[in-house]
Amino acid sequence: MATIITIPYMVGIVIDRAVDPSNPSIVWTVLGGMVLAGSIQAVGISLRRYFGFKLSYRAEADVRNRIFAHIQRMAFSFHDVTSTGELMARASSDLSQLRLILAMLPITLANIVMFLVVSLVLVVIDPVLGLVASLMVPALLFASARFANRVVGYSFDLQQRLSELSHVVEETVSGIEVVKSYGQEAQQQGKLDHKAEIIYDSAMGMAKERAIHRPLFEIIPALGTVAVLAVGGIRVVDGAVTIGEFVAFTQYLAVMVLPLMITGWFFANLPRSAAAASRIDRLLETAPEIRDPRRPVDLKPGPGEIKMENVSFTYPDGTEVLNGVSLTIPGGTSVGIVGGTGAGKSTLAHLIPRFYDVSDGAILIDGVDVRDVRLDQLRSEVSVVFQETFLFSSTIADNIRVGDPMASDEQVRAAARLARAHDFICAMPEGYDTVVGERGATLSGGQRQRVSLARGVVRDPRVLVLDDATSSVDAVVEAEIQEALRQVMSGRTTVIVAHRTSTLAIVDNVAFIEGGELVAFGPHESLLRDVPRYGEVLAATEEGAGL
Amino acid sequence: MKYMSSAGDYRVEQPGRLIVRAARISHGLRWPFIGALSATVTATLVRLLGPLVVRGGIDEGITLGDKSAILAAAGIYVGLLVVQYFATALSQWSVSYVGERYLVQLRSRVFSRMLRLDMGFFSRSKSGVLVSRMTADIESLQEFASDGAVMALSNLLTVVGVAVAMGLVDLTMALAVFGIVTVLLVVSVIFQRQARKAYDRVREQIGRVLATLQEGITGVRVVQAFTQEGSQASTFGRINEQHFDANMAAARAISWYFPVVAFLRVVAVVSALAIGTSRVIDGTMTIGTLVAFLLYLDWFFQPIINLSNVYNLLQSALAALAKLFGLMDEKVEVDERPGAYDLAEPVRGEVGFTSVEFSYDSDVAVLHDIDIAVAQGERVAIVGETGSGKSTLAKLAMRFYDPSSGRVTIDGVDLKDLTHRSRLEAMALIPQDGFLFSGTLRENLAYAKPGASDDELWEVLSVMGIAQWVRSLPDQLDTEVRERGSRFSAGERQLVALARAFLADPSIIVLDEATSNLDPETEEKVETALATLLAGRTSIVIAHRLRSAERADRVILIDSGAIEADGTHDELIAGSRRYAELVEVWQRGLA
Repeated sequence: MATIITIPYMVGIVIDRAVDPSNPSIVWTVLGGMVLAGSIQAVGISLRRYFGFKLSYRAEADVRNRIFAHIQRMAFSFHDVTSTGELMARASSDLSQLRLILAMLPITLANIVMFLVVSLVLVVIDPVLGLVASLMVPALLFASARFANRVVGYSFDLQQRLSELSHVVEETVSGIEVVKSYGQEAQQQGKLDHKAEIIYDSAMGMAKERAIHRPLFEIIPALGTVAVLAVGGIRVVDGAVTIGEFVAFTQYLAVMVLPLMITGWFFANLPRSAAAASRIDRLLETAPEIRDPRRPVDLKPGPGEIKMENVSFTYPDGTEVLNGVSLTIPGGTSVGIVGGTGAGKSTLAHLIPRFYDVSDGAILIDGVDVRDVRLDQLRSEVSVVFQETFLFSSTIADNIRVGDPMASDEQVRAAARLARAHDFICAMPEGYDTVVGERGATLSGGQRQRVSLARGVVRDPRVLVLDDATSSVDAVVEAEIQEALRQVMSGRTTVIVAHRTSTLAIVDNVAFIEGGELVAFGPHESLLRDVPRYGEVLAATEEGAGL
Repeated sequence: MKYMSSAGDYRVEQPGRLIVRAARISHGLRWPFIGALSATVTATLVRLLGPLVVRGGIDEGITLGDKSAILAAAGIYVGLLVVQYFATALSQWSVSYVGERYLVQLRSRVFSRMLRLDMGFFSRSKSGVLVSRMTADIESLQEFASDGAVMALSNLLTVVGVAVAMGLVDLTMALAVFGIVTVLLVVSVIFQRQARKAYDRVREQIGRVLATLQEGITGVRVVQAFTQEGSQASTFGRINEQHFDANMAAARAISWYFPVVAFLRVVAVVSALAIGTSRVIDGTMTIGTLVAFLLYLDWFFQPIINLSNVYNLLQSALAALAKLFGLMDEKVEVDERPGAYDLAEPVRGEVGFTSVEFSYDSDVAVLHDIDIAVAQGERVAIVGETGSGKSTLAKLAMRFYDPSSGRVTIDGVDLKDLTHRSRLEAMALIPQDGFLFSGTLRENLAYAKPGASDDELWEVLSVMGIAQWVRSLPDQLDTEVRERGSRFSAGERQLVALARAFLADPSIIVLDEATSNLDPETEEKVETALATLLAGRTSIVIAHRLRSAERADRVILIDSGAIEADGTHDELIAGSRRYAELVEVWQRGLA
């Protein structure tokens, strides 16, 4: 920084020697000094930039890791009410905003010191001229802060509108059959043209701000030069300053322009970065609701008996879902949970691996309250297969291994065989190494379901919790899934949230839930015989299943 | 290959061709462009006059001790600055105007071109790629239009202008500076290459970071169910670290380039001073000229740095243009032929397939030897296993594709001879999932008939038996359906899709039956609405359920792309072993 200040001064000295060549040899010494100062300055800038970047990128990467790990630990209840987009924003745009400020911080601090020192130097050389030239500092700071401020508003708008446009395109592409079959291309075109026009409005709003402010970044320094020319010129004529000092002033103005603009930008962005930082902070400060017990109890090997004692569950928003449910599922048996939409079937199942905690009552596995078991042990004993099958963008083998990262190839294959997935996997061009998920091969609904079944059983859990898929597949495939279910269920306690009557044919008992309460528990046939309401609900479901 | 995209015709290496074509498709922007160019040239010229005025002020005023000459020079400079302000503002604004106006036209053209393409194109293109043409690619043009174009134009003019001005002021000094600038250019090219590579990597890595992040969020329940939080976090950490490395590679490039530029600037000043002072001492140069030269020098370096940044934007913009032109050159395979005519009114609605063969790619035939005649008002169910070709049959009926050989007809007229309008008025497709566009319920119902009156809509709703449901909605017809109709259940979306088709009043309905199970109440409503819709119309139903086959007048069983059996449900049960098997599986699924 010191070098930035000395170079214009040396220019002044050289000029003075040119006007008054009484001691020409000093010119070469000063010029040599300038080159030296220039190289020191270059090394300084280089180090400052490099470490500034390194610091800010490091911080960004670390915080992003923390955010990710944190999100992974947050309970289902948090994810139920928090959108993906919101969390993505924390770890991307908010974080970048923060990083930019961090990267600029050392540079800005150095710049501010430089402005002060330069102003001081100018005032020392000549108070009048110094004050005039220093006027440029606040003017340029103000202009660039104002510009940055205004433009950010528009660029927010613009981003928003661009995403609206991309929404129209996405919708048109995915609904192209409807568009084409009704010949409504013109209607879609109209929607797009409208979005394009409002993008134009936003972009031109930004262009207007640029047109107003950008020229100022040239004009203000130029006005500084004019002021130096007028005031400085007169001072030279009056003999108060030398011509060399006068030239040094013009050089000082030139080197300050860019740092001033950056500093203005920095201050304009500061409030936004502070807001981003506090959003990130709030996320990281929110503690996960489901945590390991303070004094964990070891879940000893057992048959897998599940006991629900007076279980009630109420969502944080006050919706009561379950009310005093008590039932015992003997180890190694299977139970189908039946009930109308919204009866609390899935919720009941999700209480077992502690995706949620009961509001009242308790759930015990082989006599141990699930809340007293370490989460990783509990969840390794209780496998869950979700209704919405989620596959990671990775190979099929890796997707099955999510259930047990230590599983050998043989174990993976065995699980796939059990889930009736082995044959179709082998039929794929790269077998178990076929990449699936968003960026990979597309599997049919039935195939996805079987892969996630395999994932659920690969580590041979004591308890298997299954959420039946609602969307039925091809009848042939459905039959295969039934067969797969039959196989994976044998020898372990299984809780199936039944959305299909066909599933009930393969379970030992049925738990019939209505209005958040357990109405009946027993084998399918006896419930059919003894509980009229059960028959009615099933009939309605069957009607639905069989259009 | 037949479906090869022609995007390869345009390459970034041929910027000339790209720019010429880009200019050709603009409309009404010639004069605004000339205006923008003039404003920019004016602004640059005025700016170049500034140092000359300072020279005058020094040589006529300061050196001679004439204060009024100093003030006069300052006055002239202020006057010039006022002109410069407005010229620069106008240049900024007008270049943006041309660019943004051009983008509006380009978006519209690319989209309209895309809409004209046939279904074959849509099914073989990844939808993500199509969307990114219209978004990411055009946005990289937007970046260039909003910022890059102005920067490119004004900086280029400034560099050229300053070079000329310096040459005019003093050729020897200018040549010395040009020598240093040559070094700067070489350094900039090296930096550009390095930075481009680094930023490509950064872009790629941030893409991976975001994709992994998103996957981690959407799959969080599975992750927790299998206690994979730790391994997910470490996978993410690894990808995140690669992003950090990529960022640091870019940081290293920046960290050497800008200091070198700063150093070269000092060297340039030193050389100018070395030559300048000795000339001033000789008396061959005035001090004002030297100062003017130093002022010019300041304007020489920044524009070159700016230009090297703009170069990146320009490269991306050209690459985007090349891709967009590739899309625009995509051939429309299913087009209206010249001399196409309308169906004779009233449309009867007979559908015929005569010796139809079809393949997506030339080697594997998806359908062969298809002969079907569907009579007016007949309800035909097409059944078969997944991948048997039954959906393709429906698509051929809709003319989403043309058959490789044979004919598909309505009322005996080949679809290829019909105008698009007439064909589309005669038939409607109801796809599996009752697709809704975001917007109001009214917009969705009236999709096929924009401008239908509310009375008309309510009448359709009550005929379809869903008026009461719509009345129960908070905003009735103005209810927002939200993204893809997410406000409604699958069944409710079906109902809207059926009502939409009813309003379009086609003679022929092609229905791809939904596979999702609905709750009983909605299911019944869908059944009733469907019965109302199909009454008196010819219908082809791609059936996934036993009941739909039972209700059809006729069932056609497709197996491996050929008709395996054709007759009533009872006839087929009796006569086709394969059909009997299929029915058995269906029944088992219900048990």
